[in-house]
Amino acid sequence: MKPLLEVRNVTKRFGGLIAVNDVSFDVRKGEILSVIGPNGAGKSTLFKLISSFLKTSNGLVLFRGEIISNLAPHTVARRGVVRTFQETTIFKSMTVRENIIVSHHLQSKASLLGFFLGSRKARADEKRFGESADRIIGLLGLENIANELASNLPQGHLRVLGMAIGLATDPAIILLDEPFAGLNHDETMRLVTLVQRLRDEREVTVLLVEHDIPAVMKISNRIVVLNFGQKIAEGTPQEIQNNPGVIEAYLGSEDMAVGI
Amino acid sequence: MEQIIVNGLYLGAQYALIALGLTLIFSLMNVMNFAHGQMYVMGGFITYTVVSQFNIPFFIALIISGMALAVIGALIEKFLFRPVIKKSKRDESTMLLAAGIGFFLDSVILLAFGEKQRGVPKIIDGVFNWDFRIIMPYDRIVIGCIAIAMIIAFMLLMHYSKAGRAMRALAQDKVAATLMGVNVDRYQMIGFALGAMLAGVVGGLLVTITGINLGMGGPTSTKAFIMIMIGGAGVIPGAIVGGFILGMMESVGLSVLSQYGDITYLLIFASLMIFLAIRPHGLMGKPWG
Amino acid sequence: MNKKILAYVALFLVFVYAVVPMLINISGRLDFYYTLTSVALLSIASAGVWLTFYIGRINIGQGAFALAGGYVSAILISQYGFNFWVTLPIAGLFCAVLSVFIGLPILRLRGVYFAMVTLVLTEVMRLTTLALPITQGAKGITSLPLPSGLEIFGLKLIPDFSTLENPKVGFYMMAITLMIIAYAVLYRIVNSRLGHLCRSLQQNEELASSIGVNTTYLRVLTYSISSFFGGIAGASFVAITQSIYPSSFQVADSINFMLNCFLGGLGYVFGPMLGTLMLYFGWDLLFTIGKYQMLVYSSLLIILMLFLPNGVLSLFDRKEKR
Repeated sequence: MKPLLEVRNVTKRFGGLIAVNDVSFDVRKGEILSVIGPNGAGKSTLFKLISSFLKTSNGLVLFRGEIISNLAPHTVARRGVVRTFQETTIFKSMTVRENIIVSHHLQSKASLLGFFLGSRKARADEKRFGESADRIIGLLGLENIANELASNLPQGHLRVLGMAIGLATDPAIILLDEPFAGLNHDETMRLVTLVQRLRDEREVTVLLVEHDIPAVMKISNRIVVLNFGQKIAEGTPQEIQNNPGVIEAYLGSEDMAVGI
Repeated sequence: MEQIIVNGLYLGAQYALIALGLTLIFSLMNVMNFAHGQMYVMGGFITYTVVSQFNIPFFIALIISGMALAVIGALIEKFLFRPVIKKSKRDESTMLLAAGIGFFLDSVILLAFGEKQRGVPKIIDGVFNWDFRIIMPYDRIVIGCIAIAMIIAFMLLMHYSKAGRAMRALAQDKVAATLMGVNVDRYQMIGFALGAMLAGVVGGLLVTITGINLGMGGPTSTKAFIMIMIGGAGVIPGAIVGGFILGMMESVGLSVLSQYGDITYLLIFASLMIFLAIRPHGLMGKPWG
Repeated sequence: MNKKILAYVALFLVFVYAVVPMLINISGRLDFYYTLTSVALLSIASAGVWLTFYIGRINIGQGAFALAGGYVSAILISQYGFNFWVTLPIAGLFCAVLSVFIGLPILRLRGVYFAMVTLVLTEVMRLTTLALPITQGAKGITSLPLPSGLEIFGLKLIPDFSTLENPKVGFYMMAITLMIIAYAVLYRIVNSRLGHLCRSLQQNEELASSIGVNTTYLRVLTYSISSFFGGIAGASFVAITQSIYPSSFQVADSINFMLNCFLGGLGYVFGPMLGTLMLYFGWDLLFTIGKYQMLVYSSLLIILMLFLPNGVLSLFDRKEKR
């Protein structure tokens, strides 16, 4: 089967600095793939390259066999590749439900003029978005806070809301940027279960970039390890755990001590 | 040619000094001080009043007007900007406040000093003449040199004094500065006072040469905005560079295109818009988040 | 809920179309027609500024588009003999198209940078009208005719203003009608998906693009609607004053449009309308105190900002604001 997303020889230079160097890997449909690596390994840069928030210096990113690297971010989202943000990036002065509804933008069938005039199609769209938003709210367990202003939410809920916003676009693959950063153990474990449920129930493929090694080991089908911008290993959590190169890369780093 | 460059330097030094104050306030508080031009005009009028009514020497008058504006600036920051910034949902509210303060200062100037154009006698007579290549009255040279000296003093202050370092830290990262123990409220007030003081001093300097009138506030603010956009808002060297660039452009434009009237400004403004479209944060500005 | 809104709208319409003219006739203060006409037209331009605020841009350049719209109308009437009513939409469209070209590069700027560039834009427009031959420099274009009648298929829609007993009433009706249309459009925009998308843009442009919003397109679209309003307001002013000069709309006007929005409240569709009314009337009323006018006016502005930094309409804010 053809991979859903292909990263082919992607390189990013900032001036003389090479942040990502000739990285290639595939993401298969329906899997959860994590990219890990010590601080400064180029994870975040790679993430932005895939979601087209940065332009590649070299190499390609393909989605369903079509090139998506260096397109405008909204075009990439339109194709079905949607990212979440590391910081708790949400629409602050909207309620949780409004956040999710507005993020259905890609699925609207009516034009903006249609919405302005209140055409039948537009009204049907609005109804559909509302229902879909309620489904997502149910799936993620946000019922109690659906009408809260997003700016009033605690950190853990914000992360889930960020994911809900991503889900609302009905992506084929969702890219999660350090979803567990800053969460405590319980919150992390809850989110791990949630991501797995998303994959199973909404058939979303997940690519995540993460620091939290235990969570990654628990959640991932496969893992890609970066160090100094290069890929040094790829495989199942077990394979990664036993890979001498990976252990070396992490040696002395605190992540490893807690991790494997 | 030499004449144009010298004129440009002379204008640029004054412009840079105005822009410095504006950019300092912006970098510390994220406030676009619409009232900056009015503060400048006020400084001019205070200098004029002190010199002509009380027969006090010009240089002392200059210091007095600087001090007066510093006090006004500090009060405006403490009692107006600070509460509004704390209460408002959007930072834009400070723009309305700044505009309101601008109007207010305008009306105070009108009531206190009247509508007339005012000037003080030349501080030094005579004209410097180098072979008719550069002709420059001595008073302009003195004023230009004072302006440059003040720019240097300001830079030194920002780099080597405790307050300067604190303000630079605050401008760079408010949260980090707070964690380092910088008293945000206090240094924002000092910064605002310092910015207002600079505006007041420049006003005082210019009153000896071009004189001062009520209508100069608004256009001066606009020019100062342009300068800090050229250099990059909130960046101190940027304000200096921007000031000198605008001074040069005006000097060149006014001598080359003088027969076409206001076309110099049209060209300056239009090229500024194109420049900003290409370099959105000016020459030295840092990109926003 | 919907019925309630309809009732308010009906009440408002009766008030502006019937009660106000009646009150003016009773009081004999015919000059109020002119004041209210100005308020209505200025509030259209302010509505445009408000819309750019809604996508998170501080627009101090509406004066430029009002000026451009005014000149388009004036030139078409004086040199090509157009009917004013035809030039009105042309002026709006001209500004909308112009704003696409200007907006594409400058809308990438944010915050203060955008604000300042638009401020400069007002000045650029003024200097351009001074420099161009067709706008006749500082002399401006004067002694334009009053709007002539408009007939479509033999149906007389608008009478010739020069035949009116009191053109002031005609202008008042025109301005009010335009204002109502403009605010109806604004209200629809804000309460439709377009408005929700604008809000998403206002709050976080990166996130908006990550959910697939074409941010550039949306920004330019909104800006051109905003400029359309500016052009309409400018052209209407030309019809009333029957003249236009480069100084008809300047930086001060651009700033006032912005102040109107702030004063009414940036979170409320009808904020700019209220803001314009208050600023304009406030200024006029203060005229009686002579040289202290400016002092009192600016003090009031400052006090208002101190106690209601989110606009006058925030007074009526219920606890649960959307």
